[in-house]
Amino acid sequence: MSGTILVVAEAGDGGVRPISLELVTAARKVGDLAGCTVTALLMGFGVGGAAEQLGSTCIERLLVADDPALDQLPTEVLAAVLAKAITELNPIAVLVPSTTAGIEYAPRVAARLDLPIASDCIDLSFEDGAVIAVRPVLGGRVQSAVRLSGGGPVVLTIRQGSFENAAIGLGETAAESFSVGSVDTRLKITGISAKERGDVGLDTAETIVGGGRGLKEATNFALVEQLAAALGGAVAATRAVTDAGWRPHHEQIGQTGRVVSPRLYIAVGISGAAQHVTGLQGADTIVAINRDPDAPIFKIASFGIVGDLFELVPAILAELKATA
Amino acid sequence: MPYSIVVLIKQVPDMNTVRVDRASGKPMLSGQLAISSYDDYAIEEALRIKEAHGGEITVISAGAASVKDAVARALAMGADRGIIVAVDNINELDTRQVAGILAEQIRRVNPDIVLAGQNSDDYSTGQVGPQVAELLGIPSLGSIASIAAHGPTLTILRDTEDGRQTIEVQTPVMLMAQAGLNEPRYPSLKGIMAAKKKPVDAVADPVATASGRVSWGEPFVPERGVTGILLQDVPTADAAKQLVAWMRERKLV
Repeated sequence: MSGTILVVAEAGDGGVRPISLELVTAARKVGDLAGCTVTALLMGFGVGGAAEQLGSTCIERLLVADDPALDQLPTEVLAAVLAKAITELNPIAVLVPSTTAGIEYAPRVAARLDLPIASDCIDLSFEDGAVIAVRPVLGGRVQSAVRLSGGGPVVLTIRQGSFENAAIGLGETAAESFSVGSVDTRLKITGISAKERGDVGLDTAETIVGGGRGLKEATNFALVEQLAAALGGAVAATRAVTDAGWRPHHEQIGQTGRVVSPRLYIAVGISGAAQHVTGLQGADTIVAINRDPDAPIFKIASFGIVGDLFELVPAILAELKATA
Repeated sequence: MPYSIVVLIKQVPDMNTVRVDRASGKPMLSGQLAISSYDDYAIEEALRIKEAHGGEITVISAGAASVKDAVARALAMGADRGIIVAVDNINELDTRQVAGILAEQIRRVNPDIVLAGQNSDDYSTGQVGPQVAELLGIPSLGSIASIAAHGPTLTILRDTEDGRQTIEVQTPVMLMAQAGLNEPRYPSLKGIMAAKKKPVDAVADPVATASGRVSWGEPFVPERGVTGILLQDVPTADAAKQLVAWMRERKLV
């Protein structure tokens, strides 16, 4: 096997998506332990800006597949290009971001090339010639280490927020063009609508109160609204809640929603799934109320209360009023 | 057009009854089992498609003998037939092996649509759905907000970091379901009775040996990422007082 770790990068918002820089850090960690280099593969359309940023990190080699066929990141084309790259480079390990695209094509590529795969990894190491990944199980209540072996490349998808972003501006690794070839696609992307902005409340709000499925019904969101109003803050929700139609789409915080940076985020009836927590990266302080003591949200909350939100929220409102 | 639909379901520990022993990191499973949460949304979506267009729903589950209860529940919700693949050591197999077992059964049915939960409650790898699709040679889609069927063409709304995509795909196709796709129904008493008469095929899989390429260590409780306060078993009024005082001290409210 050639001694390289292959990192798959994505572009977004004109530059490289931050999760790609986390993957460079992860690859560097494993690469240093395993004695190998880091190669990045950037796939997309019109990704020159992202390529420059990636090329300025500590990676040793940069492959760029910049092609109209990759516009809007169709997962079939991404899978085909990645499979080609793995076959040509024969890396020790392949790191894929846990983006909405990555979680779809990574398992397919692993099955196509018959490679072992571990997904949603939050830490990596290298021991006795094998990659070890740590990943959450049972809804994040516990974690387990997984050892991937078999002699060939191993595939890992990495959860956002697990590693520090690699520094950019360190140097210039020239981009090598990687050809897409012709790919049969059966998925036709016929439209794309940008995320609803709604009012800009969530982007600038100092305080946000978010509600999740623990509220049980749409009408119970009144509790979240009352708490937000009492704190002069904005209302937000999880994807399950907005997809179910309880709240408008633009209130969704998470991987496919908004990323916010309030001083205070209060999570009411939210379990803390990675998809939602990704949107909270910028929050200074997180407070959580949930009836499940093992809910992952408590791992990132500075103040957590295990209990019944239907009793706690009214009690908090009363206390706020009494001590105003 | 009527659709032949396969729904893949997984029986997992009931997450409402799972607790963790803090000291050892061992999950304390009550023994209660359930259909993995997202699979319920897959079953419901299949029922809606059938109700709108006609067709037949086959639910497939692989695992220990107890999965017959998961299949029975899906039949009680309205699925038409079941296939159970007996694999006692299913948790020792890697996802590609599980995908291979499921794909073999799906080929027998030759459906237009395969629906599955995007991740399972227990291991949540999200790998089996896409791997089954890869082995069957059909496209797969996740992060789905809605599904509309027009004959052999399905129109899918899919959410990404960059916005919402509208995607057209021809059957056969694998579609992954998450919470929010629909509101799963509860089985009615009538449905539970009717389920007893629906055909269920029990297939014994040839003994599958674990590939050994993916080996799992013992679970452990992760450390809290932040130092802070966690109130448990504190009376409501006290907890509220403590929280408000804490927030005021830090000028957060």
